[in-house]
Amino acid sequence: MIKFTTFGLLFFLALSIPVGIVLFLLAFGIDTFYSPFPLMRGLGQVVWSSSNSATLIAIPFFVLLGEILVRCGVATRTYAALNKWVSWLPGGLIHANIATATLFSATSGSSVATAATVATVAMPQAEKLNYDPRLFSGAIAAGGTLGILIPPSINLIVYGFLTESSIPQLFLAGLLPGILMALGFMLATVILCMIKPSLGGPRQLYSISEKLSSLGDLLPILGLFGVIVGTIYAGWATPTEAAAVGVAMALVIAAQQRALNMELLLQSLRGAIRTTSMVMLVVVGAYVLNYVLTAAGVSRALQTLLRGLDMTPLATLFVIILIYIVLGFFIETLSLMVATIPIIVPIIVDLGYDKIWFGILMIILVEMALITPPVGLNLYVVQSARKSGKFSDVMVGCIPYALIMLLMVGMLIVVPQLALYLPSTL
Amino acid sequence: MMRVIDLLKRINDGVALMAGLSLLACVTLILVEIVVRQLGMPLGGTDEISGYVMAITTSWGVAYALTERAHVRIDLLRTKCLPVGKALMDCVAILALAGTAITVAWRGWPVLSKTLATGAKANTALETPLWIPQVLWWSGWVWFAVSAILIAAASLLLLYQRRYDDVNEIAGMGDEL
Amino acid sequence: AEELSVVGSWSGLPLHKQYEAPFWTDKVSKATDGEITATLTTHDQMGIGGGDVFRMLGDGVFDVGMTVADYAVSDSVALESLDVPLLAMDADTAKKMVEAARPMVDEIYEKVFNAKVLGIAPYPPQVVFCNAEIKSLNDLKGKKIRASGRMTAKLLDALGAESVNVSFGEVSGALQRGVVDCAVTGAGSGYSAGWWEVSTHLLPIPLGGWDPVVTAVNMDKWKSLSATAQEKLQTAVTTELEAPAWESAQGALQNDIACLTGEGECKGGESHKMVWVKATDADTKMARDVLIKDVLPDWAKRAGGDWAQRWNDSVGKVVGVEIPK
Ligand code: NA
Ligand code: NA
Repeated sequence: MIKFTTFGLLFFLALSIPVGIVLFLLAFGIDTFYSPFPLMRGLGQVVWSSSNSATLIAIPFFVLLGEILVRCGVATRTYAALNKWVSWLPGGLIHANIATATLFSATSGSSVATAATVATVAMPQAEKLNYDPRLFSGAIAAGGTLGILIPPSINLIVYGFLTESSIPQLFLAGLLPGILMALGFMLATVILCMIKPSLGGPRQLYSISEKLSSLGDLLPILGLFGVIVGTIYAGWATPTEAAAVGVAMALVIAAQQRALNMELLLQSLRGAIRTTSMVMLVVVGAYVLNYVLTAAGVSRALQTLLRGLDMTPLATLFVIILIYIVLGFFIETLSLMVATIPIIVPIIVDLGYDKIWFGILMIILVEMALITPPVGLNLYVVQSARKSGKFSDVMVGCIPYALIMLLMVGMLIVVPQLALYLPSTL
Repeated sequence: MMRVIDLLKRINDGVALMAGLSLLACVTLILVEIVVRQLGMPLGGTDEISGYVMAITTSWGVAYALTERAHVRIDLLRTKCLPVGKALMDCVAILALAGTAITVAWRGWPVLSKTLATGAKANTALETPLWIPQVLWWSGWVWFAVSAILIAAASLLLLYQRRYDDVNEIAGMGDEL
Repeated sequence: AEELSVVGSWSGLPLHKQYEAPFWTDKVSKATDGEITATLTTHDQMGIGGGDVFRMLGDGVFDVGMTVADYAVSDSVALESLDVPLLAMDADTAKKMVEAARPMVDEIYEKVFNAKVLGIAPYPPQVVFCNAEIKSLNDLKGKKIRASGRMTAKLLDALGAESVNVSFGEVSGALQRGVVDCAVTGAGSGYSAGWWEVSTHLLPIPLGGWDPVVTAVNMDKWKSLSATAQEKLQTAVTTELEAPAWESAQGALQNDIACLTGEGECKGGESHKMVWVKATDADTKMARDVLIKDVLPDWAKRAGGDWAQRWNDSVGKVVGVEIPK
């Protein structure tokens, strides 16, 4: 049954059947061949109950918010402002890419959206200033992944939803590792560009007054982050409600930028429904597959297998991390999470690890999956914004940042407090 | 045939806008709830309504994502194929999708029919009669199935006519974004 | 031998671990001389909502289902009357109420869920955890309270509190940040979920009722069993699942309170220091008055038919309560 599931998954995916549909097909297959229950009689009930969720509505809200911000021109201005502050470092504009990605991560729930935003505003500059495309685009693809680690985060919402852990706690837990990782990305850039200056571009120096006058352009994004996170931790709103507040605030920002019109609103709504439905087909499919896997005993079989290895908790953890890295090459991230959480998290909890902590660890591994070929959505997003050049440029450019991610995983294992300190102060 | 699919696209665009507007309505409702809660007079029930909006938005939105070719597909093998191979894979994919959509719509009916039979109401103080959100939810999946069947039929016809570019146009892969 | 597929109640709670699991994996086969065996999973492990269990049972997805009756009141308003809060202050009375309600429950399950009820066992009573200073039941007025179940929500609203829906996993954070002031749940679940860390006051009266867990078998499956198998299975459930669960119910509550408040002996765990708020008789009487004057008549109206009369004649007699016409 495990073989059937694995091969079926790879085979259907290779056929280019939509990922969400593949999950349904596997569920049908397992039900037909292996299940002692006539599970499909309950299919409708599972589909209804999994999508009837006030927690998940935060997904369209955060997507909508991002759509509005990109379309109203805030992204471009933020990039220009950050450029003035950070591109004196060795590596130049590459730091602006990372900083913009970090800042947008604080308002966007999705890594793909973050990478797309930064790529749209940064790519024209790269060509103008004649940057080495590799590190430049790698920094966008990798920086964009921070979108799901720094709150708000759609993936953390899904993790909290599936493991019944507190979403505000998960959000807080992601903040410090997110900032550390952004700093790590910049440090790696500085080191690489000091060793080999041709990897970066010209360092750009701006006067203090230029820097100060650009600060105004950062206000919308910082304000938005403050409102979203502030309402949650002031106890005024749940994460879902904060997302709704964020949407309203984004509309206010668009109006203040004099960009709010019917066209912008309708385009943003279309974009939000498109992305949300795409994500939700995968989430619902994963929910159905999980229902079938558990009922048919696959999850228990896998758990027994892992427990039967009879290793120390740390060794088991390493095996699990390895599994995620390998699966991360091939599987789209949300599917990767929803398909594995119900199996892996109970084992992790059994081993005595913290659920919130593991959520953050898993998110970093999922971020890595976003920039590892062949299935790495952020690679494609950046490549499609480049319009020319080799795909492998982006891939190679991501390698140093992927190493920083591994380093971060190691640091989290050694110092769990990096994730757990902030939630404990709540 | 292409005209039917064009019409379908336009209808689904309307569907997306309706779904989007219901999201905005939900945003408004939540904002009102937050404000009146601070004033000590909560409405209650916004969570419950948000859940219904999510279920309904999802079930109707999947059809829009379908005509927009937005559902994620892995194109590792597909990119290496000739146009005829691509068109074949697109047909396989849309047939699988149509089959799934039909199954979900078919298996979704008992949920609604049981609710109608028992007069089920939400297990909350609001006591929403569940048939209302479930009718809207179920009809979304039915529409998804209808859209998928139309696109599948059109794709097979176009494949038979060897119009591979047109197959790609209606059932291929959109931009990665 | 007949192998039944069984879906149990919450896998993490004592009712499942101590009674359901040993019963279905081991005892049932012995008690029926090997005629009936079972494969066991639980609804949470299966990833289905509590409210879906009996619907799926009726559709024949599995053979035996066990879950809190309150989760199923969506499909039957009448079923709310199985778990009326505040009427039973101890396990003995709760048991008598459930026994009196049994014919009504049997009928509801047969008609609505196409299922035969085998037994009803209790969860520990649903008590109130507050992260706000309360001195009496009266102080709940104006507070935001997380309720579980429709009748409890209605009662809280009638008492002047505001009932809100928060999923179990979010309660802890919601209490801490003041999104809710109080939350109703089983004393034991609150203890194991660490609510003592985020709340200060404990009001251990069954404001959320006793949350009876119904064990039912799909009717078609039931009819397919031989008469002797039916009898053996029924006897086994009654004597080896239902009875022991009830026997330990009272003791479990006292132990949970001791562990949460540090008053009394806490067996099998660490004890904590929540403030034990003792409800006065006047308090309880006031709440019961609200229940009888407002909440139950409202239920009678919603349930329609002769359900109120039947409740008066059965459960009402046991606890000395009559729903006014
Ligand atoms: Na984010
Ligand atoms: Na990957």
